[in-house]
Amino acid sequence: MIRALNSAASGMTAQQLNVDTIANNLANANTAGFKMRRAQFEDLIYQSMVQPGAAAGQQTTVPSGLQLGLGTRAASNEIIFSQGAFTQTGNPLDVAIQGKGFLQIQQPSGTIAYTRSGSLQLDRNGNIVDVNGNTLVPQITIPATAQNITIAQDGTVSYTLAGQTAAQKAGQIQLANFQNPGGLNSIGNNDFLPTDASGDPQVANPGGAEGLGTLAQGYTEQSNVDVVGAFVDLIQSQRAYEANSRVVKAADEMYQQVNQLTQ
Amino acid sequence: MDPLTAAAAAGLQSRMDSLDLLANNLANTSTSGYKSDREFYNTYLSADALNNPDPAVGDSPVVERHWTDFAQGSLTSTGNPTDLALSGRGFFAVNGPNGTLYTRNGSFQVSPQGALVTTEGYAVRMSDGTTLTLDPSAQLAVAADGTVSQNGAALGQLQLADFADPSLLEKAFGTNFQSPDPQKVAPQSATNVQVAQGKLESSNASPTESAARMVMLLRHFEMLQKAVKIGAEMNRQAMEEVAKVGS
Repeated sequence: MIRALNSAASGMTAQQLNVDTIANNLANANTAGFKMRRAQFEDLIYQSMVQPGAAAGQQTTVPSGLQLGLGTRAASNEIIFSQGAFTQTGNPLDVAIQGKGFLQIQQPSGTIAYTRSGSLQLDRNGNIVDVNGNTLVPQITIPATAQNITIAQDGTVSYTLAGQTAAQKAGQIQLANFQNPGGLNSIGNNDFLPTDASGDPQVANPGGAEGLGTLAQGYTEQSNVDVVGAFVDLIQSQRAYEANSRVVKAADEMYQQVNQLTQ
Repeated sequence: MDPLTAAAAAGLQSRMDSLDLLANNLANTSTSGYKSDREFYNTYLSADALNNPDPAVGDSPVVERHWTDFAQGSLTSTGNPTDLALSGRGFFAVNGPNGTLYTRNGSFQVSPQGALVTTEGYAVRMSDGTTLTLDPSAQLAVAADGTVSQNGAALGQLQLADFADPSLLEKAFGTNFQSPDPQKVAPQSATNVQVAQGKLESSNASPTESAARMVMLLRHFEMLQKAVKIGAEMNRQAMEEVAKVGS
């Protein structure tokens, strides 16, 4: 009986986590470069009440045992790295990554974080920075007198100076990729840090044979949250929560009746 | 205990076991690849009753074993290329810590070493017993027969195992099944199964059906509880009224 109560409670906890994940996805439906997460569940260990092969009578044995499950638990909520749609912004420093790569951002602590959000800007020294003011790696500086900034598909950043026709090359944006992007650690601000599960970053130029993807200037990548799908998940999760709460009620009712037996 | 109370108490106990199974099914309605458990009632006969030509007295119902409902769960599209779902009879084989495990939960990831692994980190077995080494930057394609390819080159075929009688498998932690005896319950190559890439198989535990079964269980429980009460009342009357000595 306590098993049924605990199983139902584990089911309710799991659905709460599911709703938490969906809520965060929906809250970030308009965050550029956001990648949705999906909660994954698995069943818990099984309590063996009757061992298979146990004696069922003098001549017979039980062909298969009785295993009672003890509920569910959240196994992971992995990040889904599907490509988001592109929005045209007209800002020459906005870049969207068409492919699997990540931009590299130098954190204030010195570590390098990885992001899909390509809303880039210039700081007062002319360095290309992200919306939090952290510089892009490798560092690219544009002089204040630059007229037009062009970012090519292969990441080459060039500009022209007033009165000149030849473009000056400022640098090349590089992308990083991971063996298992789903194992990256989200640290907020659209940034990820590598972990043992993700593997080490492999840095290469955009558009190369490494398959890291190309850059599209003047676009940002929208979040890959499927709002309709998220609502369907939300309804399912709510119904599952309700069903589990009914089990709590049923177990409670059975308990009550057992207690009334002695009256 | 008198036979009536004993039989009713056994009935109450088995309904509680049934609710345990039902609670686990409902808790796992969001677990990919989960297969729901059902109870199998039997009458328990004592050794004396077995040899009795009229064993009507002394048999009590017990939940003797469970059976797993291997019915197909619906396939949900996830868009994640490493999510694989099985349609038909069969299991993915993975290298568990104590031997091969079988699962229908195809929520796989790529490990830092490039192997296709489950959420627990168990590597997925290929049909030749090896594991995959994937190229992180290339697109992963999995055909309906389980052939894994990248950049148009086939890397091997996933081991898709089937069993003559899947009900002999035991459930292990994390939607995995294991063979109780690898000699007797040996996997065969699955023939009647298709792999769908970018999809996951939902749990086959249905909240609607479980809710109906829960109502049924509760009503059974109520009836049995009434039976115990009637039995107790009869005992009381037998003691207080029939067995009244003198006047």
